[in-house]
Amino acid sequence: MTGFDQLLGGFAIALSWKGLLYCFIGCLWGTIVGVLPGLGPLAGMTLLLPLTFGLDPAIGIIMLTGIFYGAMYGGSTTSILVRIPGEAASVVTCIDGYEMARQGRAGPALMIAAVGSFIGGTVSIVGLMLIAPPLAKVMIAIGPSVEVVLILLALSVISVVSAGSRVKTVLMVALGLLLGSIGLDNLTGVARFTFGYTSMAGGLSFTSLAIGLFGISEILINLEKTETIKAIRPKFKDLMPRSKDLRDSAPAIGRASAIGFIFGVIPGVSHVVSTFVSYAVEKRFSAHPEEFGHGAIAGVAGPETANNAVTGTAMIPLLALGIPSIPATAILLSALTIHGVQPGPLLLTDHPEVFWSLVASMYIGNVILLILNLPLVGIFVNLLRIPYAWLVPIILIISIIGVYSVNFSVADIWIMAISGGVGYILRKFGYEMAGLLLAFVLGDRLEASFRLALTMSGGSYATFADHASIIVLASVLGLLFAVQALAWLFGYRKSVADETEGA
Amino acid sequence: MDLGVLDRIPMRSDFETPSGVGTGAGQSLLRAVSARRGGICVAGALAATGLLFAWQASLIDFGDFALPGPGFFPLALAVSVVLLSVVIGVEDWLGAGHQGTIELGHRDVLIVLAALLAVPPLFEPLGAYLTLGLFGATLLVLIARCSLLVAGLSAIIAMVACWYFFQVALGLQLPIGAILDGLGM
Repeated sequence: MTGFDQLLGGFAIALSWKGLLYCFIGCLWGTIVGVLPGLGPLAGMTLLLPLTFGLDPAIGIIMLTGIFYGAMYGGSTTSILVRIPGEAASVVTCIDGYEMARQGRAGPALMIAAVGSFIGGTVSIVGLMLIAPPLAKVMIAIGPSVEVVLILLALSVISVVSAGSRVKTVLMVALGLLLGSIGLDNLTGVARFTFGYTSMAGGLSFTSLAIGLFGISEILINLEKTETIKAIRPKFKDLMPRSKDLRDSAPAIGRASAIGFIFGVIPGVSHVVSTFVSYAVEKRFSAHPEEFGHGAIAGVAGPETANNAVTGTAMIPLLALGIPSIPATAILLSALTIHGVQPGPLLLTDHPEVFWSLVASMYIGNVILLILNLPLVGIFVNLLRIPYAWLVPIILIISIIGVYSVNFSVADIWIMAISGGVGYILRKFGYEMAGLLLAFVLGDRLEASFRLALTMSGGSYATFADHASIIVLASVLGLLFAVQALAWLFGYRKSVADETEGA
Repeated sequence: MDLGVLDRIPMRSDFETPSGVGTGAGQSLLRAVSARRGGICVAGALAATGLLFAWQASLIDFGDFALPGPGFFPLALAVSVVLLSVVIGVEDWLGAGHQGTIELGHRDVLIVLAALLAVPPLFEPLGAYLTLGLFGATLLVLIARCSLLVAGLSAIIAMVACWYFFQVALGLQLPIGAILDGLGM
């Protein structure tokens, strides 16, 4: 069966009434969580995770992925009309998007954001379709030692691209790996850190931890504040951009598609970073950089295209390597595992229908979002009128039921509540949760591969440096560690020097 | 990379106005904690967590460096957590970390946390719907400042909707609890 045949098979699933219905539900819910501040794609996906349990894996994943890229679309609406980023990847859009809205050009800003999102999303799906299958074939041939280096590389990149303190990010990664080791040891069956509780034998529930650390902590942080919602309402007939808008935004969309495509495979917060980079690039390339910050349409087109271009390429490490690069894809990993589908190199041979229907659904989902977002923009903005204090109990009740229904265990609700409180405190003090969560997901595989590689090599650590590919990966890893160590040392000395000068 | 106008990116604080919710007497619970001192405390707590894990990991078979046992990986990680926490604690202590203050103890945050922690012990004995109904009503009264009547009615409607969606539509069996079970529901 050729790739094209498999893609057609994928379209057959994605275009079935069930595929279309759940793709639509995913896109709609994704747009809603993208619009509402305090709810992002991660919370949106975890909340609807239980809904997928009774579904075919392919259909369930189609819905969850729809939430992921739907949230990226939805985030732009509030950024442009209200100057409130619905989620982190839409922060940059606030700058010029809201300025355009104030100048009475909200319609073109929304239209260009939607079109850019559509193009960026489509480009990244083509990339996913072309890159993932050959990459998976390469990955099948590699052994556990390469896997160790790859996972370490992914975790190191998270700390390098982290916006906050790198030491704190490394600490969160180590803590995530440590928490991931709770439960029965995969190789020997020895119980670790269960403290006598049998409910801990399976380890901490990923869903509970994810909702607690991201969803609950975000709600608690938002509870400390309220926003004054003052939305600008565009009319549907005002949506069409002028020809100058199209001329200005077309190259921006092209460049941002490439930026988002490249950043998508970088672990950590790539969907956020790509928007910042895209904005900076557009400003540099612009003939009128002074317009940026005052309603430049390229300042909307670039970031919005970039954050949607990330969604497709972020799937490449997940589906081809089984390594989630951002927390949202970690949820997909968890969902696939619950459905008995193991993402990674064997996904394309064992469950090709899941991969190809996902690819096909992303094409369809992008079209659904384009149709959904523009006419319904007024309804989505009205969602912001619901007082946050009313939304909190609703979100929490759905979270509790969602968490409980994964394992039907009250222990999971405890974990969610406690990790929510801990996440809130840690975030207040500048610790980032993305590294912890990704490390938690990858911890099991890292340890198993590490011990397996050593067993296979008779205890020789040289196994981690005996192939050309490993040498390349290990060199990049070493370089990252060196840069990080130097940056930390330099930052530390600088701060001490500043302190001394100030004294 | 010169990000230029990125310093004009609206931050969350730009969108905020003094909250109409949780103002007044409740705000007296709010405490401005020195970021430096708080940072040291958080690092200390993380170091203590690392030490606990290190102690527990030391009780598990370590194996050796050539053929690590089940205790090897967790011990190495726990020690790393302790060391990194100490580094962060020292950084904060030297003033290289946080500056200023961080506000803790917001009334609504404490209420939500307390309500969340009350859910697990009640979830099975009282049943999911009663527990979550009470949970929702409590939050509506204390956070959204609704009247008891509105909160009660909203909670009942929400629970009926939850029952229909999760139990009837999705077939998800949530615990009924002794009270509803006794009523034959």
